[in-house]
Amino acid sequence: MASSVSSQQDQVLVEANSFARILSLNRPKQLNALSFQMISCLLELFLAYEEDPNVKLVILKGKGRAFCAGGDVAAVVRDIRGDDWRAGANFFLKEFTLNYLMATYSKPQVSILNGIVMGGGAGASVHGRFRVATENSVFAMPETALGLFPDVGASYFLSRLPGFFGEYVGLTGSRLDGAEMLACGLATHFVPSTKLAMLEAALCIVDSSDPVIISSIIDQYCEQPSLKEQSVYNRLDVIDRSFSQKTVEEIISALEREVVHKMDVWISTTIQTLKKASPTSLKISLRSIREGRLQGVGQCLVREYRMVCHVMRGEVSKDFLEGCRAILLDKDKNPKWEPSKLEIVTDSRVDRYFSKMNTEEWEDLKLPTRSKHNLPVYAIAKL
Amino acid sequence: MDRAFQRTQILTNHLLQSSPSSPAQIPSLSSNACLNYSPPELSEGYAFDIKEMRQLLDGHHVADRDWLFGVMVQSKLFNPRVRGGKVFVSPDYNQSMEQQREMTWKRIVYLLERGVFKGWLTEKGEEAEMRRFAYFEVLGLFDHSIAIKLGVHYFLWGGAIQFFGTKHHHDKWLRDTENYLIKGCFAMTELGHGSNVRGIETVTTYDSNTGEFVINTSCESAQKYWIGGAANHATHTIVFSQLNINGTNQGVHAFIAQIRDAVGNVCPNIRIADCGHKIGLNGVDNGRIWFDNVRVPRENLLNSVADVSADGKYLSSIKDPDQRFAAFLAPLTAGRVNIAVSAVYQSKVGLAIAIRYALTRRAFSVKPNEPEVLLLDYPSHQRRLVPLLAKTYAMSFAANYLKMLYVKRTPQSNKTIHVFSSSFKAIFTWNNMQILQECREACGGQGLKTENRVGHLKGEHDVQSTFEGDNNILMQQVSKALFAEYVAAQKKNRAFQGLGLEHMNKPCPVIPSQLTSATLRCSQFQMDALCLRERDLLKRFVVDVSQHQAKGESKEHAFIMSYQLAEDLSRAFSDRAIFQKFVEAEATLAAGPLKDVLGMLRSLYALIYIEDVAFFRYGYLSVDNAAAVRREITKVCSELRPHALALVSSFGIPDAFLSPIAFNWIDANSWSSVQH
Repeated sequence: MASSVSSQQDQVLVEANSFARILSLNRPKQLNALSFQMISCLLELFLAYEEDPNVKLVILKGKGRAFCAGGDVAAVVRDIRGDDWRAGANFFLKEFTLNYLMATYSKPQVSILNGIVMGGGAGASVHGRFRVATENSVFAMPETALGLFPDVGASYFLSRLPGFFGEYVGLTGSRLDGAEMLACGLATHFVPSTKLAMLEAALCIVDSSDPVIISSIIDQYCEQPSLKEQSVYNRLDVIDRSFSQKTVEEIISALEREVVHKMDVWISTTIQTLKKASPTSLKISLRSIREGRLQGVGQCLVREYRMVCHVMRGEVSKDFLEGCRAILLDKDKNPKWEPSKLEIVTDSRVDRYFSKMNTEEWEDLKLPTRSKHNLPVYAIAKL
Repeated sequence: MDRAFQRTQILTNHLLQSSPSSPAQIPSLSSNACLNYSPPELSEGYAFDIKEMRQLLDGHHVADRDWLFGVMVQSKLFNPRVRGGKVFVSPDYNQSMEQQREMTWKRIVYLLERGVFKGWLTEKGEEAEMRRFAYFEVLGLFDHSIAIKLGVHYFLWGGAIQFFGTKHHHDKWLRDTENYLIKGCFAMTELGHGSNVRGIETVTTYDSNTGEFVINTSCESAQKYWIGGAANHATHTIVFSQLNINGTNQGVHAFIAQIRDAVGNVCPNIRIADCGHKIGLNGVDNGRIWFDNVRVPRENLLNSVADVSADGKYLSSIKDPDQRFAAFLAPLTAGRVNIAVSAVYQSKVGLAIAIRYALTRRAFSVKPNEPEVLLLDYPSHQRRLVPLLAKTYAMSFAANYLKMLYVKRTPQSNKTIHVFSSSFKAIFTWNNMQILQECREACGGQGLKTENRVGHLKGEHDVQSTFEGDNNILMQQVSKALFAEYVAAQKKNRAFQGLGLEHMNKPCPVIPSQLTSATLRCSQFQMDALCLRERDLLKRFVVDVSQHQAKGESKEHAFIMSYQLAEDLSRAFSDRAIFQKFVEAEATLAAGPLKDVLGMLRSLYALIYIEDVAFFRYGYLSVDNAAAVRREITKVCSELRPHALALVSSFGIPDAFLSPIAFNWIDANSWSSVQH
């Protein structure tokens, strides 16, 4: 017992600095992938800090070259293979609860995204009030290549990116750098990594939870990065034309129409990426983002929890296991998706991912009540 | 006296906060000093699955609807504004009429490029038509102007070509229309003639020397009026005109005429003027058109029911001009179906806003120093809004029925469609105006702000009660149709069949002398009561008309003189028909919380009509029973109060299409929001 407690503490380092709490994700070898322990620990800490008048601000960062590369999928896959999809589901239950808490947190969370931010790492940061990108930031939601879908409330935040950029990022798993994150709104600030220590020191002497004050402090260390010429963010016109289409098939044909008359490497690569991803994943991801666009963050997480339970249980498709095998375990990068083609993934198949689990003792995600907290305006707006 | 003293005390404390008269009041006053917005999502629960309820209400194409909502929300063209931390889309109604028209047009171009209108005229079948309905409803939730602009082009111009035209018209025009290569309008109404289409004064003759029709605006009252799209954008129009062949008037026919060239110049012999600024729909360029002996080729006659040969002979398969005219106009019911359905969605917007506001806005404390009471916790406020929710639910189910009736139409169902579309169009649009007015008042002064939508929607949708058939005239048509059914059943001694009149074949229902709560909640009793009224009024109407006829008056004159009974009858028919659709929708559900809440709404819907003066007027209800009904209504309202948020959330209208007062209205009005 004692050792597990200490390892849990090790996985999330805590520093108290007057009114600020600095939490560092500490599994650098695993690129700070979120284990069940880490999530439990973060959830406890966030709940405690909300009650604690001596905490005004929470800073979240990662040890090593990653902020956080996602959820600890390897552990989840072990659970499913051991025929325990409920343990996998339980992981997501906890993680999504944390995402909801962060999205509706009554105190500002500042996430320092100095490195890889993927999947669950995005979920642990983007919902918070401030996201600081650097020149080392690499953002991606790579789930469709794994047979999963952008979860952790991504259907909320991706769908609110400008135009149809969210569909693009969510379906292709395209990587974004710090400048792109800032441009599209995934990051709220850009600070060069050399100034992070100073920023942290400045935040540690703040005695207020007022987002205006926190923001003005971060502003002092900000720089305006410029987008690379090749940046996907310069291709928003193509993205809007194609990724606004109603179905995945139509998105792909719209992209193909773009290259009929002139060669375009980026578009061709995008088409290839989509064709390599799990057809089921693409379809449920698109539907999820489209529904999420019109829902509050809580509704998004409840829906995604239903979806992820269906994925874990694998009664519609086992693409998640196959994706993890091909990408994470055998590393042959050659997953055999089933169904293998988009047109076989019918609407009724997709519908099943959005329905309640038809199994005993399963319940929809119960979100923690937030009514007794005095929620800030930006949190209320997400409900 | 006591109360007056307390109020003075409180006011004094407000004014002199530094010196409160009693120390015990300090904490409560300071905590009340500033109101916090408390989102209803955090305090109100959902007892049923709102997604399931939405599926039931929308009925079809829910994912397609959400896609289209998203297509609008994600584009700057739809004027997104951030208020209270949330994005809202709505046209900028503070723009000039000209700017609003240009924006409407730009939005249409954007939606066209996104493929929204794909198949609207070239795809056939129920699926395509229902999808088109769904999209049209969604577009109407953004703005009435865009819906009407599209409605004129696709359903009136395009529909006229589909229904009045024949193959060569379809081949020539439908695809180009669908892709907006041409822009169509529909010139039926004239300054002097609206509902009475058969009286229009535009005259067309045929010139067999050139093989052309010559269209002429014969006098000022013959100018085409209110023609949507004519003032700025339309390139082509359908012209309704008397057809005069060799001195014989063959009645009203429809022709295609070009009114502008491809770059927008008005064609020769066409004069166009603007209808000017209106109380709503300023994004639609309504215009007036004069035709100065405009020549169009012979094939521009839409010849599905009648044609003119090259040498100038009039040919028609339908000899009777009355029947010819009826066959001709029958396809126009699509417009009425669209209007009826879209009215329901406007009511949903109004109610979602007013109820969300009533769940966050407080006014007056019951006791001094207690928190003020939430608007929706006042029984009187519940009584104002909750019955309107019941009406809106009932209308939704009836609208779904009407759409299905329309897409499954056959030549035999024309009469049924005509009666139901007339009835529902009139009732839904009237209800909508009443609902919007109540919702606007329920929002107090906030309802006046255009950005809050609910008040503005009144002006935008007022026109619905008179266009595509004046409501009063449509309702007269309903009573006339019922009269005809009755007379036919009597003459041929056959049972009533269709229009839901089968209940007339059964013995007359009896209302119990003492109405208990259980009886009042029973759907059989509710149905009996509504049928009783319809049945009695139909008999009274027939008797009244025959009494007039017995005095030697014509049937037409008799109808005119019996207008009061005709009005009551058409209402009775509509209330019963709508109720029936509610019962049918409820019957499709398995027992559970969803069905329970619908049962309450259904009871409330029936009871507000049973309470109506029309029940009293003819003595269907005793004074005691009327009091029992009234008591039950307040009870059901309070039972539905906990479901209010879930019931409006089930409308499925995205937050962005509601308005700032439906959400964090304190932050939306904060000083910091002024500075941004």
